[in-house]
Amino acid sequence: MYSYEALPVAEWFRRNRELAGFHNSTRALYQTIRELVENSLDATETYGILPTIFLRVAVEDEQKSWVSVYAEDNGIGIPGNEIPNVFGRVFYSSKYRIKQHRGVFGLGLKMVVLYAQSTTNKPVLVRSATLKSDKIYEYQIMIDTNANSPIILDRREYPNKYRWHGTAVKVVLEGNWLGAKKRIEDYLRRTAIIAPYAEIVFKGPDMDLWLKRRTTKLPPAPKEGLPHPKSVDVDTIKQMLLDSRGMTLLEFLTENFDAVGEGTAKAFLEWAGFNPNAKATALTPEELVRLVEKMKQYEGWRRPRADWLSPVGGELLEIGAKAILGAEAVFAVTRKPESYGGHPFIVEAAVAWGGQIPPSDKPLLLRYANKIPLLYDEGADVARKVVDEFHWDNYKVKFPAPLAVIIHVCSTKIPYASAGKEAIAEVAEIEKEMRLALRDAAKKLRLYLSRKEKEMELFNKYITFAKYVDEIAHNLSVITRLEKSIIAQNLHKLIEKKLGTTVDELVKHTLSLTSASQQEEVTEAMAQ
Amino acid sequence: MSSRSEFLERLEKWGYNLTKAVLELEEPVMEIPARTLSNTIWDEKAKMLKLGPEKMHRRFLDMKEARRFMQTVLMLRLIVEAIREDVYPTIRDLYYNGKHTIVFKDPLGRAHRENTWDEQDESNAVIEDIEVATNVLREEMGVSADVKGKIVGPIVVRSQGYELDASKFGETALSLPVNVDALEIVKVEAAYVLVVEKDAIFQRLVREKFWSQENAILVTAKGMPDRATRRFIRRLNEEYKLPVYVLTDGDPYGWYIYSVYKSGSIKLSYESERLATPEAKFLGLTATDIDAYKISDNYVIAATDRDVKRAQELLRYPWFQKSEWTKEINLFLKKKKKVEIEALSTHGLKFLHDYLRDKIRNKKFID
Ligand SMILES: Nc1ncnc2c1ncn2[C@@H]1O[C@H](COP(=O)(O)OP(=O)(O)OP(=O)(O)O)[C@@H](O)[C@H]1O
Ligand SMILES: [Mg+2]
Repeated sequence: MYSYEALPVAEWFRRNRELAGFHNSTRALYQTIRELVENSLDATETYGILPTIFLRVAVEDEQKSWVSVYAEDNGIGIPGNEIPNVFGRVFYSSKYRIKQHRGVFGLGLKMVVLYAQSTTNKPVLVRSATLKSDKIYEYQIMIDTNANSPIILDRREYPNKYRWHGTAVKVVLEGNWLGAKKRIEDYLRRTAIIAPYAEIVFKGPDMDLWLKRRTTKLPPAPKEGLPHPKSVDVDTIKQMLLDSRGMTLLEFLTENFDAVGEGTAKAFLEWAGFNPNAKATALTPEELVRLVEKMKQYEGWRRPRADWLSPVGGELLEIGAKAILGAEAVFAVTRKPESYGGHPFIVEAAVAWGGQIPPSDKPLLLRYANKIPLLYDEGADVARKVVDEFHWDNYKVKFPAPLAVIIHVCSTKIPYASAGKEAIAEVAEIEKEMRLALRDAAKKLRLYLSRKEKEMELFNKYITFAKYVDEIAHNLSVITRLEKSIIAQNLHKLIEKKLGTTVDELVKHTLSLTSASQQEEVTEAMAQ
Repeated sequence: MSSRSEFLERLEKWGYNLTKAVLELEEPVMEIPARTLSNTIWDEKAKMLKLGPEKMHRRFLDMKEARRFMQTVLMLRLIVEAIREDVYPTIRDLYYNGKHTIVFKDPLGRAHRENTWDEQDESNAVIEDIEVATNVLREEMGVSADVKGKIVGPIVVRSQGYELDASKFGETALSLPVNVDALEIVKVEAAYVLVVEKDAIFQRLVREKFWSQENAILVTAKGMPDRATRRFIRRLNEEYKLPVYVLTDGDPYGWYIYSVYKSGSIKLSYESERLATPEAKFLGLTATDIDAYKISDNYVIAATDRDVKRAQELLRYPWFQKSEWTKEINLFLKKKKKVEIEALSTHGLKFLHDYLRDKIRNKKFID
């Protein structure tokens, strides 16, 4: 006889943790930081709060390589009664509604807790207060993997005298700090590029990082919406039907989906061969499958709305790239919204040039999805392919070049290549938009480079003439016995007339076009 | 003849006009007759090269001309100063006097270094530019060049009061001075002048007493002739009606050297009237000589690509467009073979003498 048993979800994830990015003690430490930072950013900027995040990694037991990770934010907090589920129940999330978040699976925190308890057997410590709450709640929680439910080890309440709001989390886990250090630094810096409105302070055993807030401008908060009819699957529809007691098919469509009015719904149902007045709950399983199929095929839907998305925008990308990469110039493009399979998405691209970017044979690629920096699995990412296939020589870029490319995809559903959320899968619509975004940004770079070339040319022309002025003035003055300084002055005036600009202007332009590092050299040279 | 101070005035005036433009905030421009092939005119009647009417404009504010402009002004100052101080520099002196490194610090603080000139060719070229632009010859400026010319033969000259008999130099020779116009010719009893391209052949002919047997004046300028040597030969021809014969290697370079003695050069066409000897005749070696004098293959050299290119250039020069010359050059181009004067030893060392006598007596020369 066979014996059947259901593997509890939490247990399944504990056994298959590499799927979520917890492969080993190095990846796990990095992934822990990531999950906590992304939750904190979701809890702040999405609600119009300028994020301030404090992070600390400390060695707890060197022999066992136990480290603690502490993360604190100034976000909207978690209601006291929700804290146990949020930390102790897999697939418990507030982010299933249709809008752009960093978090998607309702899994991140639980993986952190599961990994921590399976390596150190220590609970997670949570302290949180919601906006205007007069209490601060503190919990110590572990997860009962078989029941997929929280075990509360300790619970406290404190008066919230100073109306603090936010969330602080501390976990102790087996982690390889030295192995993860570089990745964590990269991750935080790249986060600061795409979120220059965040203040991030990091303290590690031998690394302190203070990524200051560079602007107080936040990207527009995403609106919340209903799914697009093309984007749902059979299970989702079943879930929706549970709440649609008594609705007709027509009502079901107009109530539950985005941009589906009566006209659109009727036209669709007629086209698909369904009776608009039939009870929605009366659909047979076969009919249900056919309905979903037809919904995906139908071409008459309106395009998915893009106000659920929160692109960063050219201005913020520029601030971030200049501050963190030390680029001399940044050109950013935000494409118009597009969609794939009913999911809206926007591609943003920026090219950063010069300054402290070290020249290399290939552009440095910074990938982002919903403002999350993607660090691993670059080879599997469609962005890498797009950047590699790009014809840089058409845009005045000759390698080695000091060039970095930022590609950001935001969507209500990022097509990740895996649950580790590290690479974007090859989706034709997204690939195409990436190409166009990169092209638009590279065009601006080309314009800049040719302007720079021209300014440089003019400056070099100036030097060609000016370097002889003193010699010529001296000789003419000996021949004619006239004042040398007047001859020299006039020669300079003649040069300016010829170039159609003054030397001061020329120097100003040329300086504005040379990178910061070169400028330093120049001022040094001038001081000598 | 004008004095050196009048020439000085002309040079200063030229410099002043450039300065005046600068003071009036106009771009200073030098107008210089072009010393190019296209501006070299073949004066068929006078049988010499003359400078055409083309002028080039050397502008300070021209990327390609700025450096030359600076060099020209620098050289003008060096020459003006030399005349003011009453010294007589050589062109090499001027080269060294003017050579220094210009250091320019641009407004970004970067230093640019550049030599006023690197090679003497550059400083020589601007001297010639100043000559044509101001119409003051280098000799008139009191600027001299190395004189390579030397002579041996029945001629007596006076230099700074000393009489020098060129027939009494034994195995050595009388070196020509810088300013041959200041050389007084006291007595000439020669039948003709023989110009030899190569010093080695000149020395052989001196040692073998060819000149006394022939009663000829031997001259060499060791390759491409300098101005003083050309001027001296011109005087011998013009003032004493001596026939002038030229002996060079049998290749396009030798032939061009002959044409410089006879008609003048492209670079110095403005000086032809002083320097050229239109009556000069070419003895050899010619391309025809190889067969005519049965020169052994051991002495015959294959022409290089450069030789061929040079020959094709000669064919295009109007002053070579004479049937005798086109025949020779085309033969050369066909056979691609050349010979040196030394090849005449093919029939023994004395054969050189027989060859010269045969050519001169039987008028087997090219005019
Ligand atoms: N710092 C925080 N402040 C406020 N709410 C938080 C915070 N961290 C987590 N939450 C809440 O807890 C829920 C669960 O978080 P969790 O990280 O497990 O999943 P997620 O962020 O929704 O998805 P993902 O698996 O992609 O991380 C979130 O949806 C959010 O509502
Ligand atoms: Mg999360």
